[in-house]
Amino acid sequence: MRLLVVEDDADLNRQLVEALVEAGYAVDTASDGEEGHFLGDTEPYDAVVLDLGLPKLDGLSVLENWRRDGRVMPVLVLTARDRWSDKVAGIDAGADDYVSKPFHMEEILARVRALVRRAAGHASNELTCGPLRLDLRTSRVTRDGTAIKLTSHEYRLLTYLMHHQGKVISRTELTEHLYEQDFDRDSNTVEVFVGRLRKKIGADLIETIRGLGYRLGDAREG
Amino acid sequence: MKAEDDAPAADDRRSKKNRLGSLAQRLVRVAALWSVIALAVAGFILVGLYQQAGERGFDAQLDQHVKTLLASALPDTPNAVAGAAAAPDVLRLREPDALGEPRFSLPLSGWYWSLEQVAEARTDVLFASASLVGDPLVLPQIGATDELASGFAAGPGSEEVRYLRRRVALGDQSYILSAAIETAGFRADVWEFARNVALTLLVVGIGLVGAIFWQVSFGLKPLTRLQRSLSDVREGRREQVDEDMPRELAPLAVELNALIHSNREVVGRARTHVGNLAHALKTPISVLTNEARTSEGPLAQKVAEQTALMQTQVQHHLERARQAAQRRVIGVACEVEPLTERLARAMSKIYQSRGIDLSHDAPEGLRFLGEAQDLEEMVGNLLDNACKWARSEVAIEVRRQEAEGHGRRWLEVVIEDDGPGLSEEQMREAVKRGRRLDETVPGTGLGLSIVADLAALYGGAVRLERAQRGGLRAKLQLPAADERTLT
Repeated sequence: MRLLVVEDDADLNRQLVEALVEAGYAVDTASDGEEGHFLGDTEPYDAVVLDLGLPKLDGLSVLENWRRDGRVMPVLVLTARDRWSDKVAGIDAGADDYVSKPFHMEEILARVRALVRRAAGHASNELTCGPLRLDLRTSRVTRDGTAIKLTSHEYRLLTYLMHHQGKVISRTELTEHLYEQDFDRDSNTVEVFVGRLRKKIGADLIETIRGLGYRLGDAREG
Repeated sequence: MKAEDDAPAADDRRSKKNRLGSLAQRLVRVAALWSVIALAVAGFILVGLYQQAGERGFDAQLDQHVKTLLASALPDTPNAVAGAAAAPDVLRLREPDALGEPRFSLPLSGWYWSLEQVAEARTDVLFASASLVGDPLVLPQIGATDELASGFAAGPGSEEVRYLRRRVALGDQSYILSAAIETAGFRADVWEFARNVALTLLVVGIGLVGAIFWQVSFGLKPLTRLQRSLSDVREGRREQVDEDMPRELAPLAVELNALIHSNREVVGRARTHVGNLAHALKTPISVLTNEARTSEGPLAQKVAEQTALMQTQVQHHLERARQAAQRRVIGVACEVEPLTERLARAMSKIYQSRGIDLSHDAPEGLRFLGEAQDLEEMVGNLLDNACKWARSEVAIEVRRQEAEGHGRRWLEVVIEDDGPGLSEEQMREAVKRGRRLDETVPGTGLGLSIVADLAALYGGAVRLERAQRGGLRAKLQLPAADERTLT
């Protein structure tokens, strides 16, 4: 899962990124409205955390521009203005949820998790695929009740596949959703990660569709 | 608090207005007083002139009689008169005849004459009219040097008479000829005239006062128009006062508009300022709070403690600043339906994951007499509360309320949920005003006391009761604007 954080306060930006990376997301950042708008317009994010008080281009305009251009990724709005008129303006501009400042990081993590889950059409915080279970709140992965230890990249890959299970995901799409913008993508190819993940969760769950990509699914069901 | 202050202030304004009276009344009073005085003076002058003319008529008539008297008293032979200068004792006046007026012969008819001879210090009556029946005709003395005197006096029957006396010198003898006519008819005539004049002037006066009324009301019409225009602004029917006024009032209208505009601007600025302040303070607090939570050790703990304190303080002072910025701006109104619809839509989105069924029902065209932001804040808080506690259903309904007293219009927003609701005690506590500043736990009825404060600011109220479906029903009563379209 790849996120975009647009926040002009450098410290808050760093904290958000740290917390989100730790929760298993690939995170890009922008510190002003224009940069944020450009990234959101060109990169395929699974969710955006957007501050409304931004220099150069305010958050509301950024959001409106995205929506007008047909960008539909879920957006969590951060705002210090906690009047309902501000909140409703945010929601009306296309935000999916809002968090008022000051906030606790847990709040952000929970909201982002919910947004990503909702966007993928899942109702629960626990994703399952056959014997495999993934708890989004605790980042715990189990197979038949046995815990599996994953690296952060493996976890990201699995989360993305779990959110989109049953669908064929191309290598490009995976690359786009797993890595930050400035990540050296050549040295860590998707194939390598898929191989490692198969070893850990069982080869039967990830199917390679030749020429197209991968599909996660319970082979026993299909 | 402010809403309660309003009432005595209005009373004060009213009593001041009474003390100064109405402008129209002042104008009418002064003009009417002036008209009455002028008409009265004119009446007196008219009657006086009429009387003078009457007296002159009398005197001419009397003079005629006196001259006839003299002519008929003189002896027939003209040379006798001519010779009289030479031989005074030759001249003998004879008794004059009837003077061609029978009333001089009727006893006490009111028409008298007498002919006296002046002899040194006294006068001897030589002849007198038959009407005197022997009584003397007592008239004021004629001055020693005067040739003619006239005036009013009492006649023998103690009736008032107009008299004229003429001194005539014949040879070395001096005679006084007098004639008097009673004035009863003349007096009645003057009274009749005075009554007619008074009646005429009364009619003229009434006409004048009516004209003054019309003039004043016509002249002050623009003032009424200005007042109506201003009240339109107050009621939210117009954005600003009509500036198309007479030259004397146009600057006032312009100033009023400037005042209304600046009032709106000041409140707008204050609100923006609070928003900016919130942004400027809350971001660093977020940073500190989160930094402290991710670190360990005594410093982190201290920071966490202090930022929690700071957060409460900032919240407190922002609330204060927001309260200070909350002011009723006159002439602001907003349509309710789009606003509640927007809020309902936003809430459905925010509480999407909870699967709340939110129904919205509001009449079109109904307008709230106040700031859209404030209405949004009130309905937003109530709706948020309802969505937070509801099991599956939330309903928001907006309706008109029939005007009750003072012709003020009201609207009511009813929001209910099917959640656990509140106990009677909790309901009372929740809408207690001004409690939010001491409130430290966010989200526990805090929103409701904000709603109560705001509603009170607009003279409205929020009431909580148990909903039919079990949860809480909040009834928000607010002033509605006139539903005429904005010009």
